[in-house]
Amino acid sequence: MPQVLNLIALTLVKASPLLLAAFGGLLSELSGVINFALEGMMLCGAFAAVLGTWATGSSWVGLLCAILSGAFIGAVHAGACLKLRANQIVSAIAVNLLAAGLTGFFLNQVFHSYGTSPGVKGLPNLGSILPQEFLSPILRRLAEGISVLVPAAFLMGLALTAFLKWTVPGLRLRACGENPDGARAAGLMVSKIQFFSICAGGALAGTAGAFLSIGVLSQFVENMTQGRGYLAVAAVILGRWRPVGVMLAVLFFGLAEALSEWLAVRWSDLPNQVFLILPYAACFSILVFYSGRRGPPSALGRIE
Amino acid sequence: MVWRLEDGKSRGILKRITASPCLRVSASVLKCAPAVAAGALLCMGLALAAGVGPLDLIRTIWTGSWGSAEAAINTLAKVTPLLLAGLAVALAYRVGLLNIGCEGQLTIGALVSASVAATAAHLPAFLLLPLTLVAGAVSGCLWALPAVLLRQRRGVHEVISTLLLNYIAIYLCSYLVSGPLGDGTAMGRTPLIPAGARMPEIFRIGSLFLTPAPLIALGFCFAAYFWFSKTVWGFEAGAAGVNFDAAVNAGISGSKWQILIFAVSGSLAGLAGAFEVCAVHHRFYRAFSPGYGFDGLTAAFLANGSPEWLWLSTLFLTSLRSSDKLLQIGLDLSPNFILIVQAVLLLSVACQGGIRPAVEAFLSRMGAGGRIDAASAQPDRTDTR
Repeated sequence: MPQVLNLIALTLVKASPLLLAAFGGLLSELSGVINFALEGMMLCGAFAAVLGTWATGSSWVGLLCAILSGAFIGAVHAGACLKLRANQIVSAIAVNLLAAGLTGFFLNQVFHSYGTSPGVKGLPNLGSILPQEFLSPILRRLAEGISVLVPAAFLMGLALTAFLKWTVPGLRLRACGENPDGARAAGLMVSKIQFFSICAGGALAGTAGAFLSIGVLSQFVENMTQGRGYLAVAAVILGRWRPVGVMLAVLFFGLAEALSEWLAVRWSDLPNQVFLILPYAACFSILVFYSGRRGPPSALGRIE
Repeated sequence: MVWRLEDGKSRGILKRITASPCLRVSASVLKCAPAVAAGALLCMGLALAAGVGPLDLIRTIWTGSWGSAEAAINTLAKVTPLLLAGLAVALAYRVGLLNIGCEGQLTIGALVSASVAATAAHLPAFLLLPLTLVAGAVSGCLWALPAVLLRQRRGVHEVISTLLLNYIAIYLCSYLVSGPLGDGTAMGRTPLIPAGARMPEIFRIGSLFLTPAPLIALGFCFAAYFWFSKTVWGFEAGAAGVNFDAAVNAGISGSKWQILIFAVSGSLAGLAGAFEVCAVHHRFYRAFSPGYGFDGLTAAFLANGSPEWLWLSTLFLTSLRSSDKLLQIGLDLSPNFILIVQAVLLLSVACQGGIRPAVEAFLSRMGAGGRIDAASAQPDRTDTR
């Protein structure tokens, strides 16, 4: 039983950064702009979180820095795509390269080290926040492995689902992605809404990066996102651009990642690579065998 | 001329002249020049901010990549995989697909060719070398095909599937080379390939040598240019890339060309891996490619997707890449600076089409004395339909 609880907790922990990043991507894609730059946004967020924490000593300031830097990268991507009409995927590739370069460059400039940053204070975990007397020893040990960002991520997911489904701004955002001409005719500032959505998406992805650097570890490692931004894009596609679908897809990826870590301990005689491959292979096979009815927003990737 | 579909409205005779295929491409490369210059200026500024003078930077990059015979050989050896990976991306882009999976295809191609060469060692050299190269190309092709089939049968974007296939390929090869296909040591590498499978050398200094592989890769690029601009097939394939629906309505089998060209794209990436094995390393080892597949993307887009200009962007990128050690030793600049330069250039080239309208809109807004009128403030609203 504790084993299963462990696995569930690990799944939630692994799913949270993907959830944040995937909802960031969802916001941008529903407004009509392909967001392949999540990887770069996450990486910048991860670095900014460590930098902010290191400079001020407070991990909450670090989190704020991560949010701002993610939004900044989003603004670069949005400016290139919306104002300067760059190809959205090429721009995203450039932005991802830029993020990889900038984080490594500043890692060297600020900390004078290659590869990893010095350790900083991480965000508090649930075990230190929840009142001790409510927790049994097993639960307490579990809670100590869960960052405060985990429930925050899931609450954020639910809030965004409600925002997109039931509020007027959410409807407007979706209108920009489905029919920009119609939205424009209805008096919406399509470019502004898209710009804002991408920046908000960047902020979410930056938070996801902060989760990796000061939520799970407490340092920055060069290229520490390891393709999670791309997995988040895959989750958006797998969830057929629906908030609930994206949430399920993210939980699935989280489970795959958690399982690979969980099994690596149990079946240690199997080669390590089997477990490393598992999340990617699971994602790929789902893409092969499952195809939903709903497609992407009609005007995705089309800027006029 | 299908080329003109690209920008929808043709504006008079000038447009028609630049629309002829060979002029169109060189004109588009020339159009890149201001963007590249702007990007380069930006990078210089960044270097200054890091305490490195722009001239020092250029001199170091030159010395690191072409300053000595050894450096030049090192740089030229990097040209082959980058040229082929760039060509793979450019070809796929011509038919409207984005092949991000070059890294994985290259890795698979390299491992398969190294293993084939090691197992078929008894064959004579004139059979073994071609067999090795073909094995690499075929495996790269097979690794690319699922992506384009998924795109056509299931509507899965090829960007996502090729990316996932990259990770799977890299981990799979890492497992195979440290287990079943390795040389038995814990180094994670295959045995050395026999002498018959190695490319002949044309130039040698000490332990460094040069093979004709870069020239062969260059030949592929010009063959691709010729095929696209001078043959009916190339025209049909290009038409499918410019406007798929229009091409299909005109009786061109768009999906056939997409599958075919994507297969060729995968083969080229696989071939890049095979060349790396046959001409440079003579074996496969773990973490084989230092990102050649991803650099191929940059090379292809810096050359604006035109195969006949790939040599230029490739020479530029390889010069940057092979000087990164000297940057670190000589100027104490992190090798990541190269990534920033690449990214800034790629971004500025990607934005080239939009910079002029944006500047014009900005100027007219300034000209209106700070008054913002709707038409110039939002240029993207004025020219819809």
